[in-house]
Amino acid sequence: MKLQGLRSEIKRLLVAELNLKGRDPEGIEDDAPLFGGGLGLDSLDALQLAMSIEEKLGVRIPEGDEARTIFQSVGAIADYVAKARGA
Amino acid sequence: MSTGLWVTGLGLVTPLGADVGSTWERLVRGDRALRSVTLFDGADQRATVVAEAPSVRIPEKSLASPSAWSRTSAMAVAAASEAMRSAHLDPARARVGLIVGGTTGGMFETEGLLARLHGAADHPESLAAMLSHPLSATGERLQECLGPFARVRSLSSACSSGANAIVLAAAWLQLGEVDAVVAGGSDALCRLTLCGFNSLAAIDPAGCRPFHRHRRGTTLGEGAGFLVLERAATARSRGVRPVAELAGWASGSEAYHITQPAPGGELVASLMTRAMARAGVSPSDIDYVHAHGTGTPVNDVVEVTALARAFGREMARVPVSSSKGQIGHTLGAAGAIEAVITALVVSRGILVPTAGLDDPDPALEVVHVPHVGREVGRVRAALSNAFGFGGMDAVLVFTDVRSPPAPRSRAPSNGPEILSGEGAIPEPVVITGVSVLASPSLLGCALIASIPDGPTAPTAPVDLEGALDVVRARRFDPTARLAAVAIDGLLRESRAPVDGTGIVLGTPFGSVDGSAAFMHRVFDRGPRAAGPAEFPNLVPSAAVGNASIYAGLHGQGFAVADLSISAESAFAAAVELVAAGEAPRMVAGSSDPRSAIGERVRSLFFPAHRGGANGARRDLAVMILVESQRRAAAREATVLARVAQVVEWRSDGKAALSAIEPPREGAHEVVLARESAEVDALLEDSSWRGSPRIACAPHLGESDALGGGAIAVAAARIARGSIAEALVLGVSGGSGIAVRLLRPAGVGRG
Repeated sequence: MKLQGLRSEIKRLLVAELNLKGRDPEGIEDDAPLFGGGLGLDSLDALQLAMSIEEKLGVRIPEGDEARTIFQSVGAIADYVAKARGA
Repeated sequence: MSTGLWVTGLGLVTPLGADVGSTWERLVRGDRALRSVTLFDGADQRATVVAEAPSVRIPEKSLASPSAWSRTSAMAVAAASEAMRSAHLDPARARVGLIVGGTTGGMFETEGLLARLHGAADHPESLAAMLSHPLSATGERLQECLGPFARVRSLSSACSSGANAIVLAAAWLQLGEVDAVVAGGSDALCRLTLCGFNSLAAIDPAGCRPFHRHRRGTTLGEGAGFLVLERAATARSRGVRPVAELAGWASGSEAYHITQPAPGGELVASLMTRAMARAGVSPSDIDYVHAHGTGTPVNDVVEVTALARAFGREMARVPVSSSKGQIGHTLGAAGAIEAVITALVVSRGILVPTAGLDDPDPALEVVHVPHVGREVGRVRAALSNAFGFGGMDAVLVFTDVRSPPAPRSRAPSNGPEILSGEGAIPEPVVITGVSVLASPSLLGCALIASIPDGPTAPTAPVDLEGALDVVRARRFDPTARLAAVAIDGLLRESRAPVDGTGIVLGTPFGSVDGSAAFMHRVFDRGPRAAGPAEFPNLVPSAAVGNASIYAGLHGQGFAVADLSISAESAFAAAVELVAAGEAPRMVAGSSDPRSAIGERVRSLFFPAHRGGANGARRDLAVMILVESQRRAAAREATVLARVAQVVEWRSDGKAALSAIEPPREGAHEVVLARESAEVDALLEDSSWRGSPRIACAPHLGESDALGGGAIAVAAARIARGSIAEALVLGVSGGSGIAVRLLRPAGVGRG
């Protein structure tokens, strides 16, 4: 349940921070790929998202390949944030 | 074979030394000037290593207020002065042009002030420090200390600015507009760029290591580099010896991504090939490449991919190095500093090294020059790469004048033979489209022609609903949004091919609002709160880069700054490139959304432009398609007007205007951005004094784009048959640009 709320929060963050006008946060699938095909985001969006997550959710996203795994989907981000907070 | 353009003087300020001699000695020795930042507090920065230049004193004879000086300007004066001294160039005895590239201008001196103005534009604090802020302030300081320069252009194409200054200089010399050009770039370190590049994770905490297996980014440096360029015949007649020849150049836009290079490196490879063809050399003649070599993981891979594409088998022979591991990435100065270094490599037969290369990346198949310089005796030709945000890239080729590569046939130039004559346009240039984006929406040619007859535009913001792909434009700032929509409208109406089309936009202050918001966050919440998506919007050329990507335009791109004649300066630069055969067509214009801080800054620089008879401020973007008459005819384009003369002055406007031909028979008008006493005085002694006058401010409102509006209105009125001829006059505190437009040949009776 807690994870579901976190996912929703991340979706709202995505739309607001990346300025995805006209996109309904609730319409983003938990496991939809964010980059490339999926939402069509790019590396600069990833950096902006990492900055926003650090600022708004208090969790620092590591750089490089590790970030790529974390940013696969909203679900993957929520898992990482929950784990980091729990640790 | 020879383009006949010689480098006759060089000047440098770099982190390795405050002149050419000391920089060169330490470069060849492999010294690295990288250390922790001392210029400002580096606490909480992701990476703190930078390359700071030795402090350069402000010239004592300067009469400008100390608040009008920036570190950028002080370094520029030192480097340009050295270049002019070494070329024995006296601007009082020749027509000398000045082209200054840069990105930050006086940002270091003003970023604290901007942060305080954010959200409090009416803050009672003095704005005096903003005098140092505009990109054009450096040109003004150079004009005061080293002038008089006959023609001045301040430009930015992000990290290729310094190289694009040299490309434009080549166009000026080919046109014969000037006898010599002092061209280069200057950029000082500041918090904004360090926070910004850190936010992009583009800085190596261990210091820049180009081509290294474990490279993690660049190091920001600072400095200035200037070259004196002139036609060989001029240099010979002055008895001046060349350092090297500027034999080839090419400039263009990837139209791919604002911060990421296109992975295949196709545009970069084609620019290298075009620059070599221009120089009449092939890869087998090139003995050295100074890479852009920033040391970011992606740049070095893409650059080597592009090099392999352009050089083929010769990659196994040609040494490649990057000086950024020693002096850092000097941003707007880098293209010029590295051009100076490359000219020295050719002149001295010594290759500069890539420092810190103890473990080269095995994935990069490059002939390196590791650690220290290498004496090779002879360098027949060398290439210097410069890439910028928005994929705005430029390539320069220098050749050894004493023993140039064996002659071969040169690429056919689109350009004219060297011509002369004040303001004459050798390759006929025409206007084939205009668009004006004013509240509430986009205007086409017919409506633009009737602007002077119409009511005042509403003050409501421009409505972009439905006109912009909001997802593709999600990171655009308001300037880029207006520009993208206005350019889109221009290209649709003029049916211009995107291939080869470039963009030059005028912007007096760049993104002051964006910079203020960015720095406010940094000062308020710390460097880690710097927004990576915002940062690329803060370079003055951001709207050009974003618009080129949005519209898919691959031609040359840059921004120019010239206070209230920035839009006219953009038009003049576009005409110069097209007239010299450097570009088939250019979109020239300006985009200026209303903004609170912008308003305050304008009131400091242009106190007379506010409200009243000139109308309140409004959102405005104006775009003009400037095209070679030949190209326009070949694609059967509708020609709105012919560009007959462009005349520019930095002091004596009356003398300059006397070169403008009097109006011929047929209706004619003087079209102005706004009325002013300065315009009255200039026209009084001019052959155009009796012509009817139109001012755009009462109809379009006040805006930094208004000078472009005047040109668009004049062209549209000629196209609609209202007049046969127009003089557009833009003035800015003693400087000015006059444009004479004519009805195109074969249309009506003029």
